[in-house]
Amino acid sequence: MTTTTPRNDDGIGTRPRTPHRRHRLPLGRVLGWVVMLIVLLVTLFPFYWMLRTALSSNSGLATHPTSLLPVDTSLNGFRRALGLTTREESLAQGGFGATIDFWRYLANSVVVATAVTVCQVSFSALAAYAFARMRWPGRNTVFGVFLAGLLIPSIFTLLPNFVLVRDLGLLDTLPGIALPTLFMTPFAVFFLRQFFLGISVEIEEAAMIDGAGRLRTFLQIIVPMAAPAVTTLAVLTYMTSWNDYLWPLLVSQTDRSRLLTLALGVFRSQAPAQAPDWSGLMAATLLAALPMLALFLAFARRIVNSVGFTGIK
Amino acid sequence: MRKRIFVAGLVPALLALGACSQSGSDPSATGSGDGAGGQVELSYWLWDTNQQPGYEQCAADFENANPGITIAFQQYGWADYWTKLTASFVADAAPDVFTDHLSKYAEFAGNGQIVPLDDLIDADGFDTSVLQEGLIDPWTFTDGKTYGIPKDWDTTAFFYNADMMTAAGYTADDLMNLTWNPDDGGTYEQLVAHLTVDANGVRGDEAGFDKNNVDVYGIGINPSYDVTGQMQWANFTGSLGWDYLDQNPWGTHYNLDDPDFQKTIDWFYGLSDKGYMPPSGTFSDETPTQIGSGKVAIGTNGDWASSQFFALDGVTIGVFPGPVGPSGQRASVFNGLADSISTSSKHQAEAWKWVQYLGSTACQDVIASTATVFPAIPSSTAKALDAFAAKGWPVDAFYSYVEDGRTFLPPITVNSAEVYDVVTPALEAIHLGQADASSLTAVNDQINEIISH
Amino acid sequence: MTPTSPARDRGRTGTGWRRSEWRDLPTALLFIAPATFGFGVFLVWPAIRGIWLSFTDYSVFAPASFVGLDNYRRMVADPVFWSSFRVTIEYVVINIGVQTVVALLLAVLMQRLTKSMWVRGIILSPYLVSNVVTAMLWLLLLDYQLGIVNQLLEKLGLDRLLFWGSPGLVIPTIALVNVWRHLGYTALLIFAGLQTIDQQVYEAARVDGAGEWASFWRITLPLLRPYLAMVLIVTSIGSFQVFDTVSVATQGGPANSSNVIQYYIYNVAFTRYDFGYASAMSVALLLVLSAITFVQYRLSRAGQSDAS
Repeated sequence: MTTTTPRNDDGIGTRPRTPHRRHRLPLGRVLGWVVMLIVLLVTLFPFYWMLRTALSSNSGLATHPTSLLPVDTSLNGFRRALGLTTREESLAQGGFGATIDFWRYLANSVVVATAVTVCQVSFSALAAYAFARMRWPGRNTVFGVFLAGLLIPSIFTLLPNFVLVRDLGLLDTLPGIALPTLFMTPFAVFFLRQFFLGISVEIEEAAMIDGAGRLRTFLQIIVPMAAPAVTTLAVLTYMTSWNDYLWPLLVSQTDRSRLLTLALGVFRSQAPAQAPDWSGLMAATLLAALPMLALFLAFARRIVNSVGFTGIK
Repeated sequence: MRKRIFVAGLVPALLALGACSQSGSDPSATGSGDGAGGQVELSYWLWDTNQQPGYEQCAADFENANPGITIAFQQYGWADYWTKLTASFVADAAPDVFTDHLSKYAEFAGNGQIVPLDDLIDADGFDTSVLQEGLIDPWTFTDGKTYGIPKDWDTTAFFYNADMMTAAGYTADDLMNLTWNPDDGGTYEQLVAHLTVDANGVRGDEAGFDKNNVDVYGIGINPSYDVTGQMQWANFTGSLGWDYLDQNPWGTHYNLDDPDFQKTIDWFYGLSDKGYMPPSGTFSDETPTQIGSGKVAIGTNGDWASSQFFALDGVTIGVFPGPVGPSGQRASVFNGLADSISTSSKHQAEAWKWVQYLGSTACQDVIASTATVFPAIPSSTAKALDAFAAKGWPVDAFYSYVEDGRTFLPPITVNSAEVYDVVTPALEAIHLGQADASSLTAVNDQINEIISH
Repeated sequence: MTPTSPARDRGRTGTGWRRSEWRDLPTALLFIAPATFGFGVFLVWPAIRGIWLSFTDYSVFAPASFVGLDNYRRMVADPVFWSSFRVTIEYVVINIGVQTVVALLLAVLMQRLTKSMWVRGIILSPYLVSNVVTAMLWLLLLDYQLGIVNQLLEKLGLDRLLFWGSPGLVIPTIALVNVWRHLGYTALLIFAGLQTIDQQVYEAARVDGAGEWASFWRITLPLLRPYLAMVLIVTSIGSFQVFDTVSVATQGGPANSSNVIQYYIYNVAFTRYDFGYASAMSVALLLVLSAITFVQYRLSRAGQSDAS
C-alpha cells in the first residue's frame, strides 16, 4: 500500500542516490541538455532581437538592418510605446504620432483578461467536474456536443457575436469584449475533464461518505488536487485573452475600452505600403509581455509542483 | 468557499464596471451623439497619421465656425480600417464621415451604405469645378450619382540615391530626359544597368557582370503585385498608349491580353532575370527600406511615401518622374481620396457641412501647409508645392505629370476584390518565373467574366 | 507490481444504480448551467446561423436570400478552394508534427532534467508575444536581404534562403514560425499531464533496471496517451485555422502558395463581402475538422484513460 505523501515532481532528487554506472545516462543527459540549450537559444534570440530593435532608432534600422547591437541607441521606442512623446516628436522619430494612453490600456487589458480567466476557468471547471465525476443521463452526449464546439470556425461567431454585443448595448465596453469567452471555451472544459477523470474515485467517495455535498467536494478536494491543471489552464487562458486582437478591435471604438494589444496596432503600418514603426512596435510588445511574464513567474511554482496523485490510503 | 464568493462577486462587479462605462451618452459607440444643449458630435475616421494633424486643425477651424458641432476623430491603420468599417456598417455603428478609397467605395455604394451627394451638392451650390480636373469623375458610381468629395490626389515617381547617381555619372537633367520602350528598355534600362553593381564592383552594363551575385540593384521593386500596377509597372504601361479597360471607370472589358501590354510586363519582370532588379521575394519591405539599406539605387513609390524617403539617415534622395514612353509622354496612376457620408449617420446635415468644409479651400490650404499630400484644389496644390520646397523635398516630379504628361485612373470596376484575387497570384507567378505574360490572356478572360456580373 | 492506476470512471454495479444515476442530475445541471449558457449563446447559435447562411447569398449589407446548394457547387468547382485545402494540410502536417514531437521532448526534459523556473519561463515566453508581432518579427529575421538568419547562412558558406518568397519554402516557414510561438504552450500542456503520472511507477521501473529511454517508451508514453491525444486534437484544430501569420506576413502569396483555407475564407468574407460563400467554405472546414478529430479520437482512444 502506498502512502499519500506529497512529492516533488523531480523523482531524481528525493530518493537516495543509487550507484548507477550506466554509460547511457550521462550521454543521455548531455544530449538532453544540448537539445534544451538549442531550444532556449532559438526561443531567446528573437527576444534579444526585439530588445535590440526597441533600443534602436527607426532611421538607424533602415540603414543598418542586420546590426547585432542596437543602432543609434535610444530609449525613444519605449517613450513612444508609453505615450510619453508628443506627436511631433513621434513623427520625427519615424513613429505615427498616435496618442497612447498606455496605463489605461494596460488596466483595461488586466481587467478583461482577469475577468475572463477567473470566470471561464471557474465555470469550465464546474462543468468539467459534472462531466467527469457525476452520473446523469445524457452526460456523454452533452459532452460530445461541447467537444464539437471546438470545431466551430471563428468566422461563424465573429459577426453574430458582434451584433449581439451591439444589441446588448455593450459596444465599446470592457464587458462587451469579455463576454463571448467569459463563460467557457470547449477547450477549457475538455482539458479540465481530462484531469478530473484521473483523480481517484476513492478520495471523493471518502469525502462524500463523510457528508460533504458535491459542491464542497468539488471545491475542497477536487480543485486542490487538480491545482496544477487548473493553474496551467488559468495562465494559458490569461495569455490567450491578453493577446486576442480581432475581437477587441471590432468591439472597441474609443480609448475607454481599448486594450494593450490594440495599441500595438498603432505601431504597424498605418497607410498601405508604409514601413512599421519598428522600434516602437518592439518596445510596446516587450512592455505588453511584462505583466504576463510576471504572472507566469508568480504562478509557475503552482504549475510545477504537484501534490501527489497517488492519494490512496 | 472563498473562491465561490470571489467568483460570485466578480460577475456583478464586472457588470457594474460595464454599467459605469455606459453611464451618460456614448456617442462614439453609435457613431454620433447628441449631448446636452443640441451639441452634435460627428465621428470622423481616417487611417493616415501623417495627415491627421492637418485635419485636426481643419476640425478646430470648422468647430469655431460652427459652434454646435464637434468632430471626434478615430484613426485605424490601413490593415484594420476596412474590417472595422465593415463591422460598423453591420452594427449600424458606422462613422458619420470617413475617408474613402476608390478601390473600396463601389461595394459600399452598391449596398446603399454611403449617401449619394448630388442633391446636397445642388442644394448648397457646392462648386465641384474648382477641383483638379478628372478628380471627381471616378467617384461617380454606375448609377450616375456621386458618392464622395475628393480632397487630395497622388501620383508615383522614381526616388533614387543621389550619391549613387552622381557616382554613376548621371545628372538631374539626364534623368528628366530618359526614354523607354518595351523592346530594349531605352535609355532607362541603360541607366538601371549602369547603376547595378555586382559583388566584384562590375556594373551591369560592363563585361563580366555576374547577375547572380549582385551587390546593388539598379532598380528596386515593391512587393505589391496587383492589377493596377501602381507600385510596380504602371508608369511604363501608362506611357504605351494603353489603358486597363475599354472604359474607365466602370469598364466591361480588361485589356490584359494586349500584346504590347504583355511585352511590357515580360520586359519589366525580366529585369530581374538580367540582374538589375531584385528577384521575387528578395525584399519583403517597400522601396524606402530597400534604398535605405544601400542595396538598391532607384525605387518607385507614391508621394505619400516622401516622408519615409527623406527621413532616411545618411542617404540623399532625389526624385525623377517616369521616363517618356512610346506614346511620347510620361505617365502615372492618378489616385485620390475622398470623404463619404454613411447612410446610417443620424446627423446627415451636419456631416455634409463637414464634408463640404473638407473640400473647401480653407481646409485644403491647411493641408497644403503640412506638406503631406497634394490637395484637390489647384490653388491649394500650389501652396503644397511651396510647403514641400520649404522642407527641402524635391517633389516637383509628382506634379510634372499633371503639368506635362499623362495621368490616368487605376482600373475601377465592380467586384474589384475578386479581380485582385485572380490577378495578383498571376503576376507573382510571372515574376517567380513560373509563367510568362501570355498567361495573362487567360486571366483576362477570367476577370472579364467577374466584372460582367 | 503495478501501482494503482488512475481510476476508471466506470460505474459500480449493485443496487441503487438507477437511482444514483438520476440523483446527480439536479446538481449536475447546476454545475453545467453557466457553461451551457455561454456555449449556447456564443457558440451554438452563431454556428447554426452560419450553417444557414451557407445556403444563402449574403453580402452583409442586404438581407440574405436563399440559393440552395449554389455556394457548395461553386466551392467544388473552385480551384483556389482545393489548393487552399492542400496548402493547409501541408501546413498542419509540418506544424503539428514538429510541434508535438519537440514539445513532448521538452516536457520530458523539463521534468527529468531541470527544475529551473527560468527554463520553464523562457520556454513559454514566445506565447507572450501576440501572433501579429510574431509574424512581423520573423518576417524581419528571415528576410532574404535584410534578415540576420540569411546573413548567418551566408557567413557559414551556405546559400541564402528565400524563406518568405519561395512558393516551396513559404509554408514550412510559416509552420516553423508558429512552432516557435506555440512550443512552450504545448510543452506546458503536456507537462501538466506528466505531473499526473505516479512517480512510483518510475521508481519501480528504475529498480527493475530500466533506463531513461525505456522508461519513456514503456511508461511515460502509454500513461500520457490520453493527454497527448487531447493535446494533439486541440492543437490540430487550432493549426487548421491558421490565419494571423499569413495575414500579416504573406497575404496568401507568393502566387497563392500560402493561401490557407481560413485566410481565403476571411478574404472572401471581408473584402468581397460574400458571406454566403465564405460560410459554405467554413462548413466544409467544419466537416473536415470533425472527420479528422473523430479519426484522431478513435485512433488514440483518448476517451479512456490507460489502465496498464
